[in-house]
Amino acid sequence: MAAPAPPLSSLYTLSFLLALLTTLAVIASLRLLAILPSNTQTKPLKSRWRPTRVMIVLGSGGHTHEMFYLLRDLDTRKYTHRTYVVSSGDAFSASRAAEFEKELERRGKEDNLRQQDVEIPQIVIGAKRDVAGIERSNDEEKRRACTGPENYDIATVPRARRIHQSILTTPFTSLLTLLSCFKPLLTAQAIHPDRPPQDVYEASARDLPDLIITNGPATAVIVILASLALKFFDIRGANSRGKCKAIYTESFARVKTLSLSGKILLRLVDRFVVQWEELEGKGGKAEFWGILV
Amino acid sequence: MAEVTLEQGSKVCFVTTGATAPFIALIEAILKPTSIDALKDAGYTHLLIQYGTAKHVYDDRIYDARMRYRSEADQGTLHIDGFDFNSDGLKDQFKLVQDSKGVVISHAGSGSILEALRHQVPLIVVPNTALLDNHQDELAIAMEKSGYLLKGDIIQLSHSIKKAEDFRKRMTQFPPVTSGKHRETKSFAAIMDETMGFLD
Repeated sequence: MAAPAPPLSSLYTLSFLLALLTTLAVIASLRLLAILPSNTQTKPLKSRWRPTRVMIVLGSGGHTHEMFYLLRDLDTRKYTHRTYVVSSGDAFSASRAAEFEKELERRGKEDNLRQQDVEIPQIVIGAKRDVAGIERSNDEEKRRACTGPENYDIATVPRARRIHQSILTTPFTSLLTLLSCFKPLLTAQAIHPDRPPQDVYEASARDLPDLIITNGPATAVIVILASLALKFFDIRGANSRGKCKAIYTESFARVKTLSLSGKILLRLVDRFVVQWEELEGKGGKAEFWGILV
Repeated sequence: MAEVTLEQGSKVCFVTTGATAPFIALIEAILKPTSIDALKDAGYTHLLIQYGTAKHVYDDRIYDARMRYRSEADQGTLHIDGFDFNSDGLKDQFKLVQDSKGVVISHAGSGSILEALRHQVPLIVVPNTALLDNHQDELAIAMEKSGYLLKGDIIQLSHSIKKAEDFRKRMTQFPPVTSGKHRETKSFAAIMDETMGFLD
C-alpha cells in the first residue's frame, strides 16, 4: 500500500525550509559563478566601433586625483558618454569632473579642426579612393569627438560611510548607497528625459554603461556590487549583452599590499590593474603595466 | 601669500607640508642651521615654505634662524618666506622651482609626489614617521629605487639637499614613457580600449 501523501503542514517544517534555502543557495552560487569574470585572461575580441557609455567612480581627494591622471588620454570619439559618480558632499570631485570635461571639450574642438585640415588633401586625390577608402571615411565621420554637456553627467549617491560614523550603522548607509546606484547604472541623466533618444549616441547614454572604471573609494565597491546585481538577474541584458565590464586600478600609493577595496573587488572585476610590480599576479589576476597615473 | 619675483641667478627651494595634518617636524627640520647652511652652500637664494596650519611653528623657528644669521652678518643671502595654503594648488611654486633649477622638498602624500614630478623638478620626499601609515614609507622607497625622487628624513635633511645637486642630472623621467624599457608597458587608455575590444 502506498504511503499517504504527507500532510500540507509539513511545508512549514524546519527541514523543508532548510531544503528550500539550500536549493536557492546552490542556484545562486551557480549563477554567480556564471556571471563573475574568470581569472584566465581571454584575448579580447575585436569589436566594431559603437557609441560607448563609460561610468567613472570618483572618491575622496586622492582617489579623484589619481583617476583624472589615469584618464588623461581619454578619447571622446570612442567613449562617447561619461557618467561620473560622486558621493554627496564631495564638491571637490564634482568640480574636478566638470573641469576635466571642459578640457575634453577644448581638446575635441582642436581635434575636429585638425580632422578638417587632413581631409582637404584627400579631396584632391579623391579619384584614387577605392570603396574601402570611402567606407573608412564614413566610419571616421561617425567618430566625432563627443564633448559638451549632453555627453556627460554627474550622478550623486549618498556617502557609504561618513568619517567617525559608527560601524553599526554603516551597513544601513551602505545599503542606501547601493540602492541609489541603480538609477545612474540603468541610465545616464538625460537633458531632455521626456524625449525618446534622437540618435545612437543618446540611445547608448540611456543604456547600461559598457565600461565601469574605478579605483579605491568605498563607493566603488558599492557601484560594482550594484552592477553585479544587475548582471545576476540579467536586468536589461546586463549580462547577456556583455554590459558593465569593470576595470579596477589599485592606487599608485599601494606598493606591497592591496587596499581593502582592492581585496574585495579582486575577484569581482573583469580587469584588476596594479601599479607596482610586487603586486603583480595577486589573486591570479592582478596585471602590471607600469605606473599609469 | 607673498609673491616671489625671480631675478637672474635665483635658486628656489620649495617645501610643502601637506594640507591635512601639518608636518611640523619637516618645518623644524628645514629651518635647522644645518639645513640652511646646506641650502646656502648649494647656491639657493630663496626658501619658500608652505606650512599649512602650523604657522606658529614656522614663526618660532624663523625667528631663531634670523637671529642666528644676524650675528653672522650674512643674513639676506637666503630669503625665507612662507604661506599657509593656496586655493589654486601649488602650480606656481613648482613652476618657480622648475625655472630656477631648484628643488622641492615634500611630505610623502601621493598627490604631492605626482604633481611635483610632472614639473620635472628634483624632489626630496620626507615620509612622516609620526603617522602610523607605513604606505608612505613604502611608496617613497619604491619611487627612490626607480630613480624618480630622493627619499629624505627629518634628521639628515642637509644630506638630501646636497645629494639633490647630483640627482637632478640623472633623475628618471616621470610619467614613464609607455614603451620599451625592461618590459612591455601600456597606457591606461590602451587598457580601456583592449577591454572594450577597440583594437585599431
